[in-house]
Amino acid sequence: MDVITRHLGEFGDGLLITVELTLLSLAGALVAGVIVAAMRVSPVAALRAAGTAYVETLQNIPLLVWLVLAVFGLPEIGVMAGLFTTAVIVISLYQGAYMAEAVRSGINAVPVGQGEAARALGLTFTQSLRMVILPQALRTVVQPLGNIAIMTIMNTALAAAVGVVELTAAANRVNLAEAQPIWIFVTAGLLYMALSACAGLTTGALERKLAILR
Amino acid sequence: MVRTLPGLRRPAPRRPALRGAALRHAGVAAAAALSLAGLAACSSDDSTSSAVPGAATGGDKEDLTASAPVATNIPAGSTMDKIKKRGRLIVGGSLDAPLLSQQNPATKKVEGLDADFGRLLAKYIIGKPEVKIVNSASETREALLSNGTVDVVFQTYSITPERAKQVAFAGPYYSSGLVIATKKGETGILKPEDLKGKTVIAGANTPAIPAIKKAAPDAKIVTFGSDPECVQALKQGRGQAYVQDEAVLLATAKQDPTIQIQGKPFTSDPYGIGLKHGDAQMKQFVNEWLKNIEASGLWAKVWKNSIGTVVQGEAPQPPAIGSAPGSE
Amino acid sequence: MSAARVLFDEPGPRARRRIRVATVLTVLAGLALLGLALRQFADNGQLAADRWRPYGTWPMWRYLLDGLKSTAFAAVVAIALSMAAGIVLALGRLSPSRWVRLPSAAYVEVVRTIPALLLVYVVLFALPKYGLDMPLFWKLVVPLSVSNAAAFAEIFRAGIQSVERGQLEAGLAVGLTRGRAMRMIVLPQAARRVLPSLISQSVGLVKDTSLGFVVSYAELLYSGKVLANYNHLLIQTYLVIALVYLVINATLSKVARTVEERNAGRVRGAGRGRAQRLRGERALRERVGAGA
Repeated sequence: MDVITRHLGEFGDGLLITVELTLLSLAGALVAGVIVAAMRVSPVAALRAAGTAYVETLQNIPLLVWLVLAVFGLPEIGVMAGLFTTAVIVISLYQGAYMAEAVRSGINAVPVGQGEAARALGLTFTQSLRMVILPQALRTVVQPLGNIAIMTIMNTALAAAVGVVELTAAANRVNLAEAQPIWIFVTAGLLYMALSACAGLTTGALERKLAILR
Repeated sequence: MVRTLPGLRRPAPRRPALRGAALRHAGVAAAAALSLAGLAACSSDDSTSSAVPGAATGGDKEDLTASAPVATNIPAGSTMDKIKKRGRLIVGGSLDAPLLSQQNPATKKVEGLDADFGRLLAKYIIGKPEVKIVNSASETREALLSNGTVDVVFQTYSITPERAKQVAFAGPYYSSGLVIATKKGETGILKPEDLKGKTVIAGANTPAIPAIKKAAPDAKIVTFGSDPECVQALKQGRGQAYVQDEAVLLATAKQDPTIQIQGKPFTSDPYGIGLKHGDAQMKQFVNEWLKNIEASGLWAKVWKNSIGTVVQGEAPQPPAIGSAPGSE
Repeated sequence: MSAARVLFDEPGPRARRRIRVATVLTVLAGLALLGLALRQFADNGQLAADRWRPYGTWPMWRYLLDGLKSTAFAAVVAIALSMAAGIVLALGRLSPSRWVRLPSAAYVEVVRTIPALLLVYVVLFALPKYGLDMPLFWKLVVPLSVSNAAAFAEIFRAGIQSVERGQLEAGLAVGLTRGRAMRMIVLPQAARRVLPSLISQSVGLVKDTSLGFVVSYAELLYSGKVLANYNHLLIQTYLVIALVYLVINATLSKVARTVEERNAGRVRGAGRGRAQRLRGERALRERVGAGA
């Protein structure tokens, strides 16, 4: 047990990086997701196609491959960013594809009458999306957002493979030095569970607050 | 808490516009698949390795196993006897360590110093170089040996007194060490102490990590999964130095003129042949084999064929058998 | 139904022109950016012909295809195991007995929050220390199955819950045991309804097999690692690998969507355009025909 107390610093640093990665990536994913979902319901065929291509490409290649490609490939096309930054961008874009699907199904869940009413009032596409549809769609997205948040927490672990010392990498390093895997990995597992529980509670509270009674 | 699934909660059928886009996309995917198939098909007559830079290990290498010795004194009921009856030596090794144990994708043959020694030992025991390599992560080698999954381990397996508590070591058969590589022209990093305060690249789960910590406790260590990744990271400036086993880095530096090796190895890693703990009979047998091939010059030929392709000069003197603490 | 459909009128001639101009400009801007990136890429020597030539040769592809075969094998076994476990867990979670329900729920809730990579590390580094050292294949498949079983359990549970209670009750009423009613009446319907989710989760699992990279099981990504070690072409290798994953998984996702559309057609019956349903089926037939 004292393995953990002796390496509290490493675990703390790892946890902090995991939390930062998760929060920044989620924020990025939300932005990317809303933009892509809007593209996928827009009147412009090219935008719709681009949105579909985005989701398909991002979702069908493993995140690990994206991370390795971005870390080593981006500098070759002149984009040099730190490992942490690269990981945040890649995870944002990757989760953004899942977020886009959630937002799109949220948009589809908004009753048709709302869209018709918005149009009847003379709102343009952007206006009706921004002022009528999205606010309602995003509320229904809160719950899948919880699932995406948990997925994001788990996916940040892959950043370990490209040299970001987050929780999983920290646990692995402590284990290399101490060779007491059970305590070390159980601790890491508990920390991940705690993080997911936080995400679950937050989205649960959000959901209750934002729920639309129909 | 009730969760709904994306697949279930999406009540709306796909709109025609999107359906069109999706179909078109599928078309793209199909076209890509076709072009892949085309690529694969149209070039099946190519000989490959000539097109691969840095990998021209050539097919003209002499077959060392042809002239290799075969043991005549295998005691009945010994481990060697079992291996001989099975007809195949099971070796714990790697597929991705250039010059030591690297799989050639074209022939699927594993090439390099460790791989050759494995084949020679197999020939010595069985009479033919029949080897099966079990790709093993470095943390699991002790377990693989003790539960009998593999007969021997040839995998840059440094002899240490701690490991010797769990496995028996024959050898050492080769002495290597960690060296520092930097980008060409770097003048500030010549010895391990110079790593202080620097960002240092190392392979994940390699002995380089503790060694760097020991030499320069405040160095920031960044790890990547494989040697080419570490090299790329070094070239892209994600760290000022890269610490790796000399044999691996020799190959890399030879192939890539933009990086250079700084100084001599700063650790001494005597590679041993891992055997099951307590199998003194086999340990003695393998040591005799090693003595035999060292005396006959076969050892030097193996070196020439692998590490000798990137290092000039004659083969070094092999380390004295039993000299490393843990191998007595 | 889709609200988006009514968010805009069919664009008129002027709007169409504007859209066309905007599209052309955006595509041009995108192409310019792409060109810039490519030039930089070429300046770094990454487009040099001899860096790509190996991937025009058969042995390299044969090696990658072998890796792909291992990927498929690991994925199929992991999918089978985790689906079986998922069904058991889902039934357990819906069982009337608390002693079955609570452990199943605990398993699902705990495992779905632990990264697969962490489980891989446990199997890789922790278990051998306690004498359990599995072959590489299982070192990849076991953690993936453990982790995906929870996800499949949730999918099956949602499916079972979506089948009207009356179905189960009717089964019980005609004298079936609970188990038989579940197996013969509820599960077949549940499985059909969640088929798209099952497929997309399976695509996720195919992607997860890329953790073989860490385990050093010779699946596609690890084969790429060995290749890159051999030919020192890191970026080219990973680009090729990404392309292979894309083709495979896009095909699988496409199958999932087709199934989904067919399901939607069947559930809604003739009410919503028989023609559309037929079109879907014909498309599927054509694809199957073309494949065979």
